[in-house]
Amino acid sequence: MTFWEARFLWEEPMLAAVLASAMLGYLGFFVVLRRIAFMSAALSQVSGLGVASAFLAGSYAGITPHSETPLWLNPSLWALVFACLGAAAMGLPARSRRVTPESAVALAYLAASAFVLLVLANPRIAQEAHEIGDLLFGNAVVVRRQDLWNLGFTGLLVLLVHGLLFRSFLFASFDSDTARVSGVPVRGVELVLHLSLAVAVAAATRALGALPVFSFLVLPAGAALLFSERLRIVLLLSVLIAVFSGAGGYALSWALSLPTGSVMVALGVGMWGVAGLKRLVEIRLGRES
Amino acid sequence: MILGGPGFPLSAREELNKVLSGSCPSARRMDLLTFDNVAIGYRRGQPLLPPISFAVASGDLVGILGPNGAGKSTFLRTLLGLLPPLQGKVRYPGGHEPRMGYVPQNAQFDYAYPLSVLEVVLMARSSQLGLFRRPGKEDVEIAKRELQAVGLQSISGQPFRSLSGGQQQRVLVARALTGEPELLVLDEPTSNMDPAAEHALLSMVSSLTATRNVAVVFVTHEISAAAEFARTVVLLDGAKKFFALGPAREIVTSETMSALYGRPVEVRRENGRVFVWLSANGSGGASP
Repeated sequence: MTFWEARFLWEEPMLAAVLASAMLGYLGFFVVLRRIAFMSAALSQVSGLGVASAFLAGSYAGITPHSETPLWLNPSLWALVFACLGAAAMGLPARSRRVTPESAVALAYLAASAFVLLVLANPRIAQEAHEIGDLLFGNAVVVRRQDLWNLGFTGLLVLLVHGLLFRSFLFASFDSDTARVSGVPVRGVELVLHLSLAVAVAAATRALGALPVFSFLVLPAGAALLFSERLRIVLLLSVLIAVFSGAGGYALSWALSLPTGSVMVALGVGMWGVAGLKRLVEIRLGRES
Repeated sequence: MILGGPGFPLSAREELNKVLSGSCPSARRMDLLTFDNVAIGYRRGQPLLPPISFAVASGDLVGILGPNGAGKSTFLRTLLGLLPPLQGKVRYPGGHEPRMGYVPQNAQFDYAYPLSVLEVVLMARSSQLGLFRRPGKEDVEIAKRELQAVGLQSISGQPFRSLSGGQQQRVLVARALTGEPELLVLDEPTSNMDPAAEHALLSMVSSLTATRNVAVVFVTHEISAAAEFARTVVLLDGAKKFFALGPAREIVTSETMSALYGRPVEVRRENGRVFVWLSANGSGGASP
């Protein structure tokens, strides 16, 4: 069976990869420039903890693993709530002079990673351990219809929020003091930015896994910033590189029978390498700025 | 005028009080912002200075002087509303917080941001546009007009990060003016400039007080710049719990500067210019 003939198998995962990578590639612009790359990794772990906790809570509520789950025990909803709470908590150290943002992110990452393993060790949800493992380490091969809908809805939400607030997000990120003096409610704006990141990470992690999500948030924007000095071009390139890594990675992994998430990451790393090479040549030719 | 405080060395405080006696500025209409017994600082119970009463009115031109770590930035942050006072009240006699323009030290910027000069300048339109509206044609025209005022219209499309320190500082002044401020606050605006550029920028800023009736408050390490351009000068030093203000001509003297900086400093005025230098023989005034 050729790749094209088998499209009924890959259409939905491919669409999920394109949607998630485009959304995360754009958000990566803020993630990279605000130096919160590891916040996205921590959010992936926190949303994974949400999924694991939902399964554990379901086991106590008498829900069998493959029976219909009531909304309040929906793992995606728990992932979303955990990620939002995590994003809000990780923003708190900005108000403290004693706790650095990096240490708060590290604390969230370590705590979530440890608690996921502790929850998975519970014999009540031993059967779900494999699915939760997929979430944490990446498995974009099969995507459920519900996860695809969640991704589409999340993408629209991010588009709407960022369409309205992009200018304020940028001002608050670039020069928060002057933004405050100019009437921008910086704390509120940063909270909305982090929540939009949390919602996107929760939806994308559930569909694709933590590793590709982290890579889409960091690698495309990092490469785009090496390619150009123009805001619009950087944003566009960031999205295009992410989609190339997502869709290309999926197709390549199919053709070469390789792990999907890892190939997506490898393509992103490759694009960063190309961008770095271009920059190096520019510097050598004296076009440094 | 307020001088000194419990932690300020008696000899220096007496010296300053003696020098400044009778130099209190005439009362002004305080129509933009007033500090009523405001204590500034970061930790409750540990104010940096004794409670300050201070006012800024339209058209004022205030220079702030003090040694490193004196609390100048803390004072500015309280003035800008970025830091709440530990005690006392910041009041707005006009009934609303004045529209403020802020020129931070440009060393604090992250140059990874791929922003053009025009994009940086347009940011200040937030106070007019609110959270959701995008800058329109009129906003772009205002931004370009202010870039022209600082002599940088021709580079509006260039990346901000590619400019020299002095050019970036002028862009930040243009950005502050683009917000059409009633109160313009500048934190060491000439720190990256050569003397000619420094003089040009301070001349331009001081002319704003007359042409636009903008109040200007600036922090500087250049004693001569404060003495020449400011009409009122604030002296502060958190370590000595000292705060004083007065007309520039009266408050910026060899004696006060020597007491403030703890080193003999000479201040001389000739033909409208102010010359300042560190005196080697200690004749400049009070010693530490």
